[in-house]
Amino acid sequence: MIGVLVTTHGNLGIELIKAAELIKGPMKGVVHISVDQNKGVEDLKKEIGTAIKKMDHGKGILILTDLFGGTPSNISLSFLKEGKVEVVTGVNLPMLLKLPDVREGMTLKEFAQFIKDYGIRNISLATEILNKKAAG
Amino acid sequence: MNVVLVRVDNRLIHGQILDAWVPFLQAEGIVVADDGVASDFFRETVIRMAVPREIEVTICSVADLPKSLSGERTDGPKTIVLFGDVGAAARAHRAGFRFDRLNLGNIYSEECVVHCTPSVQLDRRELEDVLSLLRAGVVIDLKRVPTDNPHDLRSILQKALSGEENRL
Repeated sequence: MIGVLVTTHGNLGIELIKAAELIKGPMKGVVHISVDQNKGVEDLKKEIGTAIKKMDHGKGILILTDLFGGTPSNISLSFLKEGKVEVVTGVNLPMLLKLPDVREGMTLKEFAQFIKDYGIRNISLATEILNKKAAG
Repeated sequence: MNVVLVRVDNRLIHGQILDAWVPFLQAEGIVVADDGVASDFFRETVIRMAVPREIEVTICSVADLPKSLSGERTDGPKTIVLFGDVGAAARAHRAGFRFDRLNLGNIYSEECVVHCTPSVQLDRRELEDVLSLLRAGVVIDLKRVPTDNPHDLRSILQKALSGEENRL
């Protein structure tokens, strides 16, 4: 199974996981690392590096971060490795909910691409949809 | 260029810079003066990708900073200068990159001797560097984001070092 690590500013990640579990039940192979003002960059690197090692059972790790250019994402990018570690930024709840449905039978790269596209597809402007429906 | 903020931040460019300081200062450019990034193409690329297109990013080593700023008009684009650690800021100051104010953002030290705020901890060597900057007349404040209440380093150190000889 591809391991999933959610790393975010503050408790956003753990709360996203909790919300996903509320809807879908316990999430297997998903861990969370929070970045707050009390942690140094080196400590975070160690923490993320350890988590990657622990969770990789041969299929690689997908790291989901909240903000491209933010510290969780910056540190995660230093672990990027083709076939081993992929990073998707802008994590949202639809992405988390989709994880268990598709992680079997995909390579890490396909999985990362799918989750990214799925996350984007699930952002909508409600009036846009309504207008389309009304017009169609 | 018009330097509107000089800051020390272990995290260099990150959320607090891009989403708080840049809009607050209406900055048009960011200079990252860091030897590690200047010699690491991957880190440089990641930084350049993270910054919106309209902000100009300059990356240079600490030693090259005075050179890369010299000859610039002081009324040019509003620019943020970032150092990765206190030592780099002190070296640049000694080398002729002059600034009156320095902001300390996120500084973590394993061997912290002065715990200033949750996000600023100084070790022995960093303490020496900030003391030398204070003696050179630089005003140093501690603020993660523009809306934080500023903490003045001089008064924090006066309290923290009251037991030691008066070095301020």
